[in-house]
Amino acid sequence: MDLQAIAFYTLAAIMLAAAGLVVTARNPVHSVLFLILAFFSGAGLFVLLGAEFLAMLLIVVYVGAVAVLFLFVVMMLDVDFVSLRSGFAQYMPVGLVVSGLLLVEMVMVSGAVASSGAAAKVKAAAVTGRSNIEEIGRVLYTDYVYFFQAAGLVLLVAMIGAIVLTLRHKPGVRRQNIADQTARTRKSGLSIVKVATGEGISE
Amino acid sequence: MGLDSALTIAQPELLLAAAALGLLVVGAYSGRLAMTLVSWGAMLALGAAAVLAANGPLGQAFKGAFVSDGASVFAKVIIYAASGVAIFLGERWLVRAGNAKFEYPVLVLLAALGMGMMVSAGDLISLYIGIELQSLALYVLCAFQRDDARASEAGLKYFVLGALSSGLLLYGASLIYGFAGSTRFADIAGAVHGPASMGIVFGLVFLICGLAFKVSAAPFHMWTPDVYEGAPTPVTALLSAAPKVAAMVLFARVLAQAFPHDVPQWSQVVTAIALISVTVGALGGLVQKNLKRLLAYSSIANIGYALLGLASGSEAGLQAMLMFMVLYVIDVTGFFACLLALSRGGKPMETLPSLAGLVRLRPGLAIAITILSLSVLGLPPLSGFWAKFYVFKAAVSTPGMEPAAVYGLVMSVAAAFYYLRIIKTMWFDAPEGETDAPPLDARLVALGCAAFSFPLVIPALAVLDPLALAAAKAFGLA
Amino acid sequence: MSVGLPAYLAVAAALFTIGVFGIFVNRRNIIVVLMSIELILLAVNINLVSFSMFLHDVVGQIFAMFVLTVAAAEAAVGLAILVTFFRNRGDIAVDHANMMKG
Repeated sequence: MDLQAIAFYTLAAIMLAAAGLVVTARNPVHSVLFLILAFFSGAGLFVLLGAEFLAMLLIVVYVGAVAVLFLFVVMMLDVDFVSLRSGFAQYMPVGLVVSGLLLVEMVMVSGAVASSGAAAKVKAAAVTGRSNIEEIGRVLYTDYVYFFQAAGLVLLVAMIGAIVLTLRHKPGVRRQNIADQTARTRKSGLSIVKVATGEGISE
Repeated sequence: MGLDSALTIAQPELLLAAAALGLLVVGAYSGRLAMTLVSWGAMLALGAAAVLAANGPLGQAFKGAFVSDGASVFAKVIIYAASGVAIFLGERWLVRAGNAKFEYPVLVLLAALGMGMMVSAGDLISLYIGIELQSLALYVLCAFQRDDARASEAGLKYFVLGALSSGLLLYGASLIYGFAGSTRFADIAGAVHGPASMGIVFGLVFLICGLAFKVSAAPFHMWTPDVYEGAPTPVTALLSAAPKVAAMVLFARVLAQAFPHDVPQWSQVVTAIALISVTVGALGGLVQKNLKRLLAYSSIANIGYALLGLASGSEAGLQAMLMFMVLYVIDVTGFFACLLALSRGGKPMETLPSLAGLVRLRPGLAIAITILSLSVLGLPPLSGFWAKFYVFKAAVSTPGMEPAAVYGLVMSVAAAFYYLRIIKTMWFDAPEGETDAPPLDARLVALGCAAFSFPLVIPALAVLDPLALAAAKAFGLA
Repeated sequence: MSVGLPAYLAVAAALFTIGVFGIFVNRRNIIVVLMSIELILLAVNINLVSFSMFLHDVVGQIFAMFVLTVAAAEAAVGLAILVTFFRNRGDIAVDHANMMKG
């Protein structure tokens, strides 16, 4: 067994264990942390495959953005997570049997795809001398510019959606208005009152 | 092919994208006028996009990822028109509901753009991005009434099940890519020859499951009644029309263009889904009291009939499917416009008993609902009859499909019961009390759609029939 | 590469199954359901990237990249809807009795 195989099996085992803990952990904060671990191991697998760029992307997007978002929401919502686990033990046995069967089938299918699909007929790669990121960069903005722009629109929809659903303008909140603040003069900002002794000031 | 010609082919979508971005800025800076301004701007953009699509050049752009052909043009005109109607209905409705946010028309515009991308997809990646653009916008629209618990529950359910179905679809797409070595439909068709291997069948089944969810076909229909009931009514009107057309055309395109050599295989799966949908739709609707839920079951059944056309796997079948979708979309839009027009004491009349005696209170709307019910039921010579006529004709002429056609016919008789019940309630029961004056916009759409169902459909058929045939030819099945 | 394509695909299949299992057993806990969906998408990405590397075809990686982008957008929208749901209900348990009504 060479080094690459050892790395593969270690990373795969960690990833699957972490994924299992994501769905079974009692505390959702732990679930999020295991999700991060699963994604880190997944990124490790990508590096093993030679897809360095996607590995980095996975870490930046998932660990940097998605997992943080999850953590934020889990901590923000004051939810009794114990009550949400009712039914967990009840569904567990059926779930295990069904997913066990699904797994066996899917592994068989994957084997069939690997042995009879296009991958089996591919000859050795043409040596281009280009790095992974250069390969992607060459086609992303040329052949696949349509997808690139469309993905931008998907992100725009997500942005509009998140804002329209969650942003609330509270009436009592005072906001900064730089123009107003700098345009203040002595006259508008200051008033001199004569206070009679023992009376205090009213607005 | 250069970028210039690619951009010419994608003109309608570019226009929509530019309009969405522009209107977002307009909306942000135009204060009180924002809702009206952005809504009319969005409707104008959708109209212009429909005209551009109808007159624009056909061909492939971006190396086959974006296809403009007869089928995509046919679908786009319907989709953009239906989305425009949804904005028209939604604008006043949201103003009345005190939630006049200009994001509504912008999101509908972006959803329509996603649907346009779906019907033009020539590649698994554009299929996925198109579906997601459409779905994400629709999830948000479902939860748009954010202070309404039912709307946010509808949005959440739609989102969770939609995201799951996207996951299934993607897994199928990844297996197909791995097997065929390409994501282009044409290349997949080239790679998948001879007897279908287990890998490709598995990938195809995952893909079909994902798409069946998007068209809300049984057994992937669980979300439909809840989402239809909880979502704001103009959004439900949108959900039941344009996205269904987009998903059906995409469904047909993937199957016909990426798997033209496996017609017997996918035809079986689609027939099974179609028959289950027809059954679930017909039987599930019988016990519903809420009209929006009832229409949800009606839409499940009707999608079943459209899928029956697709399952025929022939040009006639695809023509039947396209005809069915156009006629159905007009009927269902009319139905929801009627629901939008009816309210009593400021509350929408959404239950069956509340329609009692409507013919004495609002004769115009009652007659519109009667015509639309009879049409969806399939009474000749209303539009729904012609829709089913095309489907059954195609199914009967396909060898092996005759039993399925007969079964579909039996189920449509069973479903007739709940449409007849609506008519009976409106015509023969005693009214519960006065209704509010119906808003002009909803009444206009309702009466227009009813007038189309009968009698306008007769001359319209003469125009639609050759167009749908030309569109069906574009799928390339014999 | 000493580890073959079937091994990578088997890992992806296992991850996918765990995701489906997670959705099945955690039906009431929407946050864990969303995380399970992320696991499913990671499985898809592993599939795509390993096909891409073994086919020597960069399209798979491009596909995976867009899956990643869209998944991030999806998470944002999903959590936004979840927050509005929570504000209305004070809870995140989706009422399944209601779901079965139909």
